[in-house]
Amino acid sequence: MTLVTSTPSRRFSTDRWRATPGPFKVGVVILAAHALFAVIGALWAPYGFAEMGAGLPLSGISWGHPMGLDQIGRDVFSRFMHGAHIVLLLSFAGTMLGMVAGTTLGLLSGYVGGWFDAVTQRVVEAMISIPFLALALVMIIAAGPALAGTPVLIVFVVGLVYAPRITRIARAAAMEIATREYVAVAELRGEGTWSIVFREILPNAANVLLVEFSLRLSYAPILIGALGFLGFGIRPPTPEWGLMISENRNLLIASPVTVFGPGLGLASLVIGFNLFTDGLSRMLGQRPVAGA
Amino acid sequence: MSVFRLLASRILLSALTLLLVSILIFLILEALPGDVATRILGREATAKALEVLRSQLHLDQPAFGRYSQWLGDFLRGDLGVSIATGRPIADVLGPRIVNTLLLSLFAFAIYLVLALVPAVIQAVNRGKPIDNVISVITLLLLSLPDFLLATMLLFLFAVAVPILPALATISENSTWQEMLRAMVLPAVTLAIMMAVYAIRVLRDSLIEVLRSDYVRLAELKGLRPRAVLFRHALPNAIVPALNVTALNLGFLIGGVVIVERVFSYPGFGTLLIDALQLRDIPLIKATVMISAAVYVAANLVADVLAVLLQPRLRTSR
Repeated sequence: MTLVTSTPSRRFSTDRWRATPGPFKVGVVILAAHALFAVIGALWAPYGFAEMGAGLPLSGISWGHPMGLDQIGRDVFSRFMHGAHIVLLLSFAGTMLGMVAGTTLGLLSGYVGGWFDAVTQRVVEAMISIPFLALALVMIIAAGPALAGTPVLIVFVVGLVYAPRITRIARAAAMEIATREYVAVAELRGEGTWSIVFREILPNAANVLLVEFSLRLSYAPILIGALGFLGFGIRPPTPEWGLMISENRNLLIASPVTVFGPGLGLASLVIGFNLFTDGLSRMLGQRPVAGA
Repeated sequence: MSVFRLLASRILLSALTLLLVSILIFLILEALPGDVATRILGREATAKALEVLRSQLHLDQPAFGRYSQWLGDFLRGDLGVSIATGRPIADVLGPRIVNTLLLSLFAFAIYLVLALVPAVIQAVNRGKPIDNVISVITLLLLSLPDFLLATMLLFLFAVAVPILPALATISENSTWQEMLRAMVLPAVTLAIMMAVYAIRVLRDSLIEVLRSDYVRLAELKGLRPRAVLFRHALPNAIVPALNVTALNLGFLIGGVVIVERVFSYPGFGTLLIDALQLRDIPLIKATVMISAAVYVAANLVADVLAVLLQPRLRTSR
């Protein structure tokens, strides 16, 4: 009997899972695999991520070194495993920072309007006009050598590049919601601006913002990877995947496999995020905007 | 509102945006708290080196004076002198911009084919397997980081099957055949990156247009399907894709930086990275300002084109 009583709730959740769009399922599976891999990689790897002399440099793949060895004899698979949680954490933290800043500014700007909105919009427009990669690189240079290559700086840069773009989306949502009746009612009750923005508008903009978060998250590993690839990202020997691709790229002729590992990891992570975003936006009845 | 007033207000707003960009760049690079020279050269720098840099950047003067001086010179066409090479920035920039322009034109030509052909195939065969296959390929390519795509193409066509040069190093005395061969890989990479964004939008808008009344009417009049598709449907479906192209220009400029870097192409993007690595502040300011100006100008053009192509937008804005 206990079995019978417990099934409805279980069946309910599996039913909900079955009802999700196909791409969403694939995305969730890929992301779950990445998360699991990241947790394992953070705790254990066959060799140390900075351990030189794990084997003969550039000796190709073998059972002991499924992704080969790099120029100075570090095991690429161990570095790849250790890098997984770094890529995920940096992406999450950076996107989160951008979301908090962008959402706060955008909702306020859209609801309050007036000169505050006008000024915010011009600044946002100016920040978006600077190509995001150039903006990120200039900020990294401006931070100076003491901060260069630290995770804090990367998170901050990703957040600052994302914030104006998220501000725009949040503002548009707030302007639409601000005309609804429940906002007028809250105003009549005498609620303050912050209370209206966070208690009335934010919950009703949640769907838009969730899709936006997911969309920005998809691009974060590419942005962080590009910074690492250009030599402005996380400081070596930390095995961020973009940095690994750039380190091993010069040896493409001697040992191409050392580039494919991190490349495959990065591509599959972004594919997972993209499929997840696609499915999420369909389920929430939103349409994700491609690109900027 | 008349078209001219709309145009005038757009141009004014764009100018205001660029003014703000110049303030932002100046603030980020030169007005953050702390000593600019130490931040640029590092703590190990000698007192002499710091002193030279301070005088080169005129750091002894107040920030506002430096900013207005720089902006005034910039507007008069004097971009200043590069610290690293000692040459006038305009001389350094000129040939690089020409190279990047050539690369972009080549990439744009490939982009048109890569965006239009799959989108038309998808829209005509919507719901059929070929539609889904192209969608999946587009999604996969959309998820590929640009530096990875460039590296993969480089490996395939320059290492595994060596039919193209791995390094796109060109100089003034290379023949145009050499230049074209050198530009194939970077141009194809850029074209793919741009096309994957446009294909989705173009497909959706084409499907929408194909369902519309005037396309039905054209079909009922007995026009050949090909004429309906290319003369009636496609021109109207292109407008949304035009906007996406302009919006994604920011991504494209970022892409140019990375693609030029991967193939060592002597263009604007490589120059920006070099300037950043050498901490050449005047050159950084000039290159970033110009890339922002390109972005703003392209968006302005796309806006105006959209209004001219679709007269009903004139009243709705």
